[in-house]
Amino acid sequence: MKKRLWAVLAVLALIVAACGGDGEGTTTTAGAAATTTEGGGATTTEGAAGTTMAPEGDCIIGMSWNNYNEERWAKHDEPAMKAAIEAGGCTYISSDAGSSEEQQITDVENLISQGASVVVILAQNTQAILPAVQSATDQGIPVIAYDRLIEDANTFYVSFDNVLVGQLMAEVVFDLVPTGNYFILKGNGADANSDFLREGIGSVIDAAAEAGDITILEEDYTDNWDPGLAQTTIEQWLSAHNNDVQAIVSENDGMATGAAAALDAQGLLGTVVLSGQDADVAALQRVAAGDQAVSVWKDARALGTAAGEAAVQLAGGATLADVEGTGEFVYTNKESGVETVLISILLTPIPITQENLDLVVDAEWISAEDLCSTGGTVGPCA
Amino acid sequence: MSVVEASPTQPDVLEPGSRRSLGSFLRDNEIDTRMVGMIGVLLAIWVVFHLLSGGTFITPRNLWNLSVQTSAIAIMATGMVLVIVSRNIDLSVGSMVGTVGMVMAVLQAERLPALMGIGNPWIWIVSLVVGVILGALIGAFQGSIVAYVGVPSFVVTLGGLLVWRGFAWLTASGRTIAPMDATFQLLGGGSKGSLGEVGSWIVGGVACAGIVALMVNGRRKRRKFGFRLRPMWLDVALGVFGCVVVLGAVWVMNSYYLPENLARIYAEEQGIPWPDGGLQIPLGIPYPVLILVAVTLAMGFIANRLRFGRYIFSIGGNPEAAVLAGIKTKRTIVKTFMTMGILVAISAAVSIARLNAAVSGLGTLQELYVIAAAVIGGAALSGGIGTIPGAILGALVMQSLQSGMVLIGVGAPLQDVALGVVLVLAVAIDTIYRRRAATR
Repeated sequence: MKKRLWAVLAVLALIVAACGGDGEGTTTTAGAAATTTEGGGATTTEGAAGTTMAPEGDCIIGMSWNNYNEERWAKHDEPAMKAAIEAGGCTYISSDAGSSEEQQITDVENLISQGASVVVILAQNTQAILPAVQSATDQGIPVIAYDRLIEDANTFYVSFDNVLVGQLMAEVVFDLVPTGNYFILKGNGADANSDFLREGIGSVIDAAAEAGDITILEEDYTDNWDPGLAQTTIEQWLSAHNNDVQAIVSENDGMATGAAAALDAQGLLGTVVLSGQDADVAALQRVAAGDQAVSVWKDARALGTAAGEAAVQLAGGATLADVEGTGEFVYTNKESGVETVLISILLTPIPITQENLDLVVDAEWISAEDLCSTGGTVGPCA
Repeated sequence: MSVVEASPTQPDVLEPGSRRSLGSFLRDNEIDTRMVGMIGVLLAIWVVFHLLSGGTFITPRNLWNLSVQTSAIAIMATGMVLVIVSRNIDLSVGSMVGTVGMVMAVLQAERLPALMGIGNPWIWIVSLVVGVILGALIGAFQGSIVAYVGVPSFVVTLGGLLVWRGFAWLTASGRTIAPMDATFQLLGGGSKGSLGEVGSWIVGGVACAGIVALMVNGRRKRRKFGFRLRPMWLDVALGVFGCVVVLGAVWVMNSYYLPENLARIYAEEQGIPWPDGGLQIPLGIPYPVLILVAVTLAMGFIANRLRFGRYIFSIGGNPEAAVLAGIKTKRTIVKTFMTMGILVAISAAVSIARLNAAVSGLGTLQELYVIAAAVIGGAALSGGIGTIPGAILGALVMQSLQSGMVLIGVGAPLQDVALGVVLVLAVAIDTIYRRRAATR
């Protein structure tokens, strides 16, 4: 009897746990059976609650998220995009594919059948989404590739310039360490962004490395951008070179957190110049305290606004090239060598250093209180 | 396991004419040849990396780092052995590290300082205790589903792998939580997180005395029950060997000095003038390693001396027989998973203290390393067989390979290939070894 009670309790607890996850409105299950859109109804997501409704006007913009389960989409990207779309007199509807490539194709079709005249896609897979894009463009519906590139010349690409991100972080580091020894911590090897970033970093330091001014002692990819792995790697590199390093170029802030812990154990934190990107809270705190030289900031809200505004113009009948502020982006597929020319808006990221910490505080990206809680003494913390 | 293999009825004298090989000599004297082999392999790995890295692998600094890097996985591997021995598996430990680590981090970085004030000395204790309780609850919960509902542990913990990873994200909406409480950070090693010279020698001395006492006590008991005794010289040699290893390890830890920059800061704080030769402050045994040692002793005691531990081995050896013998198998299984959960919490504490931050991906893929360590260390997935020192050696072999490859500049993809190959190779050799041992 007692045992049976246990069993029932256990099952109940599991169900409660599962529902607790759903109650948050974010989809935690990959494949996301719970978010399957039946009868053409798009899934309502947190933050978008109430916005996913029956079409009212003629101008509807459909947004397909690949996976809403990341803080920035709900907090920064979506509100900005929605505001820009509504300011243009259009309606915003959305769906969440829960990291499923198949689901995302269905989602795009559903958005179109709900009357979307422009579809914005944050693609789970840059190639698997192509059939859905093809079907949309066949129906004369413009497609905006949001943040991540889609390999189709008919899409409109809105993103930050990742090569520029690499360049900006390397410029700050190289400025501080024009001669000396470098470590380079690259991100996940399977992520194209790792190589975009490295390309930008190379544009600043490769010439100096060839000239012998600086020496790149070590350079490697880091599986899954894992901070713990980055820590172990830096510990080993420091041992191998007896701490004789002046700069560590880390391709993001998470790995910089691992590198900072490794440096701290050797008393080198703040002495060795360290870079990152994403403007993570922990990284900005390090910048304020002088432990990290730079974190390149990509304001997700600017990205959302740019995509929203472009969508409104496209819905109004503009062709891709008519949209304000566009340029051409040439993407070369690494395997096939095929070049795709994309009409695009590439936003400029901002390198955050001790000199311009005010920017992130003024933009309410981080509160001055949080920024200065770990001993920062400059800018907003002065 | 060697205890089971060698029975007291074994003939004392071998048949005349049979040549005694080293292997059979060791077996006759109840020395785990498998373990001896593993230690040999580990040393070989070290020497090879030492030569390839131009003399940086077998240095106090690298061995000190290696010991800290191994701790988090090794702590969990001691529990995974018992789970595997009981014919179960726990695939959720990596994700549990994420959830428990995140909860402990949020508590000490955000919740508790608001309640108790920043820098309150109770903060680290409260978050650690909450973490351990949470780990135990999660473990008991999963274990109950396995034992009482009868869902295979593979499925339950596969679900757990997804659920707890999700909770790790939900706990802080994917943010990175940093920094950790100043005292809590000591759990992760780092420059301040070690025992110092004197403390390390004391620990070494006590350990050495413990080894001698165990040897003496063992001989006394064996004589009392009329078991066959090892030759006196062999017991003495083993005791000396154990002491040399322990004291040697302490000596290595004490030969790693506080990095120069930190030593200068220390000198300034203490008002000591900077000596010409530099200030050499031995770091000693890092706290995570001390935690690992304590965990090993506790788990070894549980596995070999407590009824609970012996039940696990009986269940793994033959579940039906265990039930018929009156063992409460279900309750034992729940307790096994609960133990695993507690160890996960301790390991998570070490991990976040070491990184001085908790990230939502904390512990990703660690279940594979933990299982691999246990399996390389001789735990058989068919159940009933496994040792705790073996699992720690397994973890050390894995981490030595990984750290060594980084040291000599092998790229990330090739590291994964090498680790995978070694895992299969180790188990293949073990399988062949067991088969030959069985037919002998």
